[in-house]
Amino acid sequence: MNREDIVKQINGLLAEEFEVEESEFAPEANVRETLSLDSLSLVDLVALVQQTYKIKIPVSDLKGIQTFTDLYDYIESHLPKE
Amino acid sequence: MRYDVIIIGAGLGGLECAALLAGAGRSVLLLERGARIGGCLQSYRREGFSFDTGFHYVGGLGEGESLRAAFGCLGLLDLPWHRMDTAFDRVLIGDRSFAFNQGFDAFADGFEREFPAEREAIRRYAALLRQVGQRQWGGLDPSAAEESFSADLLATGAWDYLTRNFRDPLLINALSATSLKMELRKESLPLFTLAHGNSGFIESAWRLAGDGSLIAQRLAERIRERGGTIRCRSAVTELVERGGRLVAARCADGEEYEGDLFVSDVHPALTCGWVRRSERMRPVYRHRLQRLANTFGMFTVSLLLKPGATRYFNWNQYVYRRADVWDFYQKDAPVGGVLVSCRVPTDGSGYARQIDLLTPMPWTRCADWGDTSVGRRGEAYEAMKRRVADECVALAERFLPGLSGMVERRYTSTPLTYRDYTATPEGSAYGARKDYREPLTTVLSPRTPIPNLLLTGQNLMLHGVHGVTMTALLTCAEALGRAYIWNLLKGGNE
Repeated sequence: MNREDIVKQINGLLAEEFEVEESEFAPEANVRETLSLDSLSLVDLVALVQQTYKIKIPVSDLKGIQTFTDLYDYIESHLPKE
Repeated sequence: MRYDVIIIGAGLGGLECAALLAGAGRSVLLLERGARIGGCLQSYRREGFSFDTGFHYVGGLGEGESLRAAFGCLGLLDLPWHRMDTAFDRVLIGDRSFAFNQGFDAFADGFEREFPAEREAIRRYAALLRQVGQRQWGGLDPSAAEESFSADLLATGAWDYLTRNFRDPLLINALSATSLKMELRKESLPLFTLAHGNSGFIESAWRLAGDGSLIAQRLAERIRERGGTIRCRSAVTELVERGGRLVAARCADGEEYEGDLFVSDVHPALTCGWVRRSERMRPVYRHRLQRLANTFGMFTVSLLLKPGATRYFNWNQYVYRRADVWDFYQKDAPVGGVLVSCRVPTDGSGYARQIDLLTPMPWTRCADWGDTSVGRRGEAYEAMKRRVADECVALAERFLPGLSGMVERRYTSTPLTYRDYTATPEGSAYGARKDYREPLTTVLSPRTPIPNLLLTGQNLMLHGVHGVTMTALLTCAEALGRAYIWNLLKGGNE
């Protein structure tokens, strides 16, 4: 899966699952603000990434994911090797 | 009429939340789908005898112990509790016997005698169990520093811990053998669950002289004394949200009840299904809860024995064919492990009249009959029950020779029975499966995306009477404040 596929897939899922218009997802936009995440729904994001990509995001890594670009980077660099 | 709090589901967690919130001066309405309260604490009567389903013993009721203060707050300490023998849990694995003693030192001493080479490891394990009980309310203590004790235990696998800490596989089996009261599963069980599920009983172990519904009845009395209302046969079908908050519960009988706060003691996925339109509860949360896996169910054989056939035994006997305590129930083989529990005699005779045999039963063994209802499941189902019951009795005979000849009548229940009487998906005995590999997503908060909807019950964090009581207090802490619950526990009453 290349980066373009990841961006397309995760954006589509986030829009549907968090009920936010995909047009609001700018690469440098803040994920928490854009998706209106609180401590509870942050867990939903972790669960969604895990379910979709089999990637576990430990709590300690969450601080590092601020923008959409950070999220794409994280997924891309942690994808299980095929 | 409008209520301060509407609670859905009169299982132990719902009853406890109702009692605590009514005790704090809230007007409380408790809605129960079934004809009777109690959930997994329900008992049933057959020809003058009552039989338990979910409840067999509790721990930690002694002075200063882990469950005592909570039970004090709930008015449950003066039920007819009956202290079990010092060796309260006894284990037979093949032809080897082991005993769990009450008191952490006595517990460790007992195992050290059998496994002297593992002395240090046994001491470490006993110390961990002791600590778990002592620190269980740490999250409520306003003066306590942020701590990671529980989080670390949740993220550690019970099987991994045991195999790292102990060398002798028989010792691991023996120490796990009384844990039929949780889902022993190498791939998922958190050390947190194993430790909490053992700690309180090792402090002290108690049976109730009577059935588990005494607990439910006492809580119901307390709720009513404090002005609360309990309505049975009131099945909630919708939770109505307006402006981002729940405003009413609609029931199948057409009644609608308005409330300020809603607490659900029903499975979280079912609860979400009742919120049909929501500004707050997004698909991602619903889907996460729908994906929760369930722990296994239990198969129970309730035996009524002929009068005078065998003496009462004041301990639980666990019997295993061989040392495969962690996986016997997953094998396609005759029943390999059974708990034999004896009801406290109330006729003063000293003889046992009622014995329960319990063994895990994964849902897959019942799934073929999943679309049938009580009493109409057909001959193949009845044959399966007879076969499994015969296997349970045969295994229990290793402890009680001649048991099959002592039986006057026998009744059985399966995960299907449990599902239909307690609305627990797949008849799961211990609720949603907590997974140490995914603690963040499988251990649930009482809070939901809707600010005035809270969750409680065995699906959140811990199961069993002790675990559900802890959870109920944490749920109520969300509504009443941590300091309120902390002070209640310190004062021992309202």
